[in-house]
Amino acid sequence: MEEKHGMTKVVAIIPGLAFMVLTLYILRTYVEPWMTTAVILGQKGWLVKVLHLNYILLAIIAGMLYRNLLWAGKIPAWAEEGFRTTRLFIKAGVMMLGSLYTIQSLAKVGGVAITLIMTFVFGTILFVMYYGRFQKMDRSLVGVMAAACGVCGVSAAIATTPAVRAKPADVALAIATVLGFGIASMFISPFIGHMLHLSDYQFGAWVGTGILNSGQVLATCLAYNPTIAPGTAVAYGEIWNVVRVISIPFVVFFITMWYWRAEAEAEHVTLIGIIKDKFPIFIIGFFAMTAFSSLGMLGAEGSATIQLMRTVMSWIFGLGLIGQGAYIDVRELKAAGGAPLKVGLAAGLCKYALALVVVLLFVSKEANF
Amino acid sequence: MKILLALDPSTDTMDEALRFATEKKADLTALFVLDSTWNDYTGHDWLSGSGSRADFLEYARDAEITSETDIIAKFRARCPSACEIKTATGRVTDEILLELTEGKYELLIMSHPFRRGLEMMRDAAGVILKQANCSVYLIRDNQSHRSASDVGDLLVASIAT
Repeated sequence: MEEKHGMTKVVAIIPGLAFMVLTLYILRTYVEPWMTTAVILGQKGWLVKVLHLNYILLAIIAGMLYRNLLWAGKIPAWAEEGFRTTRLFIKAGVMMLGSLYTIQSLAKVGGVAITLIMTFVFGTILFVMYYGRFQKMDRSLVGVMAAACGVCGVSAAIATTPAVRAKPADVALAIATVLGFGIASMFISPFIGHMLHLSDYQFGAWVGTGILNSGQVLATCLAYNPTIAPGTAVAYGEIWNVVRVISIPFVVFFITMWYWRAEAEAEHVTLIGIIKDKFPIFIIGFFAMTAFSSLGMLGAEGSATIQLMRTVMSWIFGLGLIGQGAYIDVRELKAAGGAPLKVGLAAGLCKYALALVVVLLFVSKEANF
Repeated sequence: MKILLALDPSTDTMDEALRFATEKKADLTALFVLDSTWNDYTGHDWLSGSGSRADFLEYARDAEITSETDIIAKFRARCPSACEIKTATGRVTDEILLELTEGKYELLIMSHPFRRGLEMMRDAAGVILKQANCSVYLIRDNQSHRSASDVGDLLVASIAT
């Protein structure tokens, strides 16, 4: 597709974006209220009470239906540029989420988050390295799968691929594996959370640790509790997410060193070089918002500014998740297979189940947030 | 008769296309499409630093160019003279369909499954069969258990024009 610039690009964005806004408007204004009153199987609000559907899950489902049914597997040209803004929306939303915290509150739960995340990230990486070798997988692909399963799915796979000289086609299979697992866990986790009566803190800690893809952590937390405020699932889950995101350059460095250690033509990389190249800059925006919040620059809890920001965030995430859903091509996920699927599923399931056990055993219902 | 061969790594398909074109005294054109849809495929990546994402897309593009060189060299080695070779960049199935329309071909020959770029994750043959305006000849890309000519007899798929 020809790259567009300037005003041409802005104009090209409008149709797809307008379509996403209209979809979200319909979901929030008509579909969600209807679900709370609709009587299904003799129960009022069955879709909400039993299936735990809300506008977040509906947004993802709508995106998937557009891509896979309405558009037969390909976002049409008129909507393509608009749907590409998804990444921008979610990044902006995550930056704004920084306003839910103060430096003091981050310090209170940050220690638990860092301990859990680092244990699971490096534990998963070592597991994939061992099991991948057992499955006789190519070392490059083991490196990519270790990053994808250990840190945050697609982003980590992409960051690691050039460093370990993996074949892009293999990377596509690895991505399909982690996305497939993540999508399943995105719909199953709220059920399990409600069944086990997990608090928002426990749920955020669990999915923040156990789900492979950061976008899906965000969606799952919002599916569990769509409220965006301090002390909700998304506020806790996002702390875990941010710790993971910060760890990406370190993980890439670790895997790169592991890969080149066994290669004849060793490539010289430095941690500083990787941090400069791979550090996700928008995380600085997240901490800037936390600093503003700590200094009281956004107003007190309940102020008009805070309320407005949260309303904007709920729309931003809704739009972003319609777009994320539209990037899920079921046919592409079905192509996952072979050793990457075995290794990815084993690593993903172990991480998901172990994280739940650890949270149930060691994480209290309430956080001093 | 004008035949279009959609190139992918399958040498069986190249051989069968050349055999078929010689037998029918047809003009054979080979088309290699560089897949430009990596940016969309990685649409789930919203955490990477811009350097990270740009590095990956550049790396994927370099891999596409390496594939182009390798596959075209393999085809040239089989067809030193008369065949025309074209290249295009875009979504692979779209570019094949566009070339079919513009070149007024009567037959498309391609592998199934078609292993070009991200089409290995998709159903290229299914898309082409639904939309092509000419007959389509699919060669099963399974070099281990049958010869190309056997495959040719088994897998001719025609659609109404």
